[in-house]
Amino acid sequence: MLKRTDLERPYGAVIFAVAWAGCLFLLVPIACIVLFSFSDTVYFRWPPAAFSLRWYANFFASEQFMRAAMNSLIIAVVVTSASLLIGLPAALGLVRGRFPGRNLIASLLLSPLIVPGVVTGMAFLVLFANLRVEFGLARLLVGLFIFALPFAVRALVANLIGLDTRIEEAARNLGASPWRSFFHVTLPQLKPGLLAGATFVFVEAIDNFSIAVFLVDTQTTTLPVEAYFYIRDFDDPTVAAMAAILIAFSALLVFAVERMIGFEKFLRMQ
Amino acid sequence: MTQDRYRCGFCLLLPACAAIVVLFAAYGWFFWASLFRPGAEGGLALGGAPGLHNYVRILSSPEELAILGDTLWVSLELTAVTLVIGLPMALAIARSHSKLFRGFILFSLAVTFLSGGVTRAYAWLIMLGNRGLINSWLQQLGLTSSPIQMVHNWTGVSIALVHFLLPFLVFTLVGAIKNVPVSVEEAARNLGASRMRTFLLITLPLLSSGIVVAAALTYSLALSAFLFPMLLGGGRVRMVANYIYERIFVSYDLPFAAATSVVFLAVAVSVIASFSALERLARRASAR
Repeated sequence: MLKRTDLERPYGAVIFAVAWAGCLFLLVPIACIVLFSFSDTVYFRWPPAAFSLRWYANFFASEQFMRAAMNSLIIAVVVTSASLLIGLPAALGLVRGRFPGRNLIASLLLSPLIVPGVVTGMAFLVLFANLRVEFGLARLLVGLFIFALPFAVRALVANLIGLDTRIEEAARNLGASPWRSFFHVTLPQLKPGLLAGATFVFVEAIDNFSIAVFLVDTQTTTLPVEAYFYIRDFDDPTVAAMAAILIAFSALLVFAVERMIGFEKFLRMQ
Repeated sequence: MTQDRYRCGFCLLLPACAAIVVLFAAYGWFFWASLFRPGAEGGLALGGAPGLHNYVRILSSPEELAILGDTLWVSLELTAVTLVIGLPMALAIARSHSKLFRGFILFSLAVTFLSGGVTRAYAWLIMLGNRGLINSWLQQLGLTSSPIQMVHNWTGVSIALVHFLLPFLVFTLVGAIKNVPVSVEEAARNLGASRMRTFLLITLPLLSSGIVVAAALTYSLALSAFLFPMLLGGGRVRMVANYIYERIFVSYDLPFAAATSVVFLAVAVSVIASFSALERLARRASAR
């Protein structure tokens, strides 16, 4: 005879144990790097002898890191707003429009998701060199915008496909103008897609390495590229301080997403 | 009504089409560059007459083919390992009755996912390095007298890559598992099937196409790995992306790097295409 509690626990101890082990595997390095960022010494010591904030001081005092952080922030903000502004009409056109070549445009638009980042990065390098775009920030903005746009479009398309168009039709039948029904009926329903798209694009724009490394110049770098150079040339936990700040930031982001749309809904926009 | 509002659907896509034009101008130019030789002026200059010599050189060079083969094979192994860890995590998220447990797994995945590539690669460098956490523990416990080499080889690169791939795989799988109705599993259990039997004979076949989709995504991400082999491999581990990078920044041979990229891209795209063929096959099999 099967007991009720047995049915409610559909998976056994193995699944449970592996899932826990997976979480540990994910979190231990994250915890380790946060701990390391407060270390008093250049090398990792366990248990830590003393704590200090010197690597944070080092990070904030570094002109290169501060300039790179500023660039990354500018890139992330500009790329995120541009991707939403251009991605929203594009997603509407792809889902609601009826014209030939729709599928072709969709796959061309989403192609940077499949092409390895290094290939896209080098292609942009060649293009910008031939067009003589000397200004590093301009190269980064254009390159990362084109790379990140598909993330916004994908989230918004997923959101739009799930909408019931009869609600908009009802609004139109009741006399609302097309614009009014768009802003008062459609747009509010697109909140999860907009938020998910913005998050993906923002994270990609801040975190991208494989494309950005081809577009930086000696004056203009981004945070991940600068961190890579630092790890290559120096051996101290300054990058750990940067990492801890980014981890704290991403934990905040997770809580914000959970509060605003709920994380499980967020995942469906992927 | 809705139809006539979007009659100009194509106009809505115009700004995005501009982005596509720039992107494909870049890809096209890059492909064009692969037909030349490095120019005498240095830098990114091109020289010689257009031809297929770079492609001939790649396909006849054992070193090139070995790197490509290694990348394809290692990515497959990494996908398998990630799947073994990720499938239980996805099952737990989709099916666990404990909101706390679900939330904890999701939180671990999301924070790892969002905290960035360099952050995670550096974290593993600190964990696995010769003076890192794991080696200092092993030495304190007296399990080893000299540090075990775990970075600057495939061990470190593989561990860090599984860590990088895991969130992508789990996030993709969760949706697929949620589409399998719990009632089917409950029916099997009520009819006396064991937990294992239910999983293997009911859940897994229904899940096969979802697993193929998640594995395809994981595999294509593993194939294009660049930062992790570069940081944890310390120049001793080369996957295709790193090899391409070296051709351009170490040997300044843009045409050859471009040709390698084209071959790599062709392989990546055909792998993804065969995965989607497999997915259709799996879906048809489970529909029957």
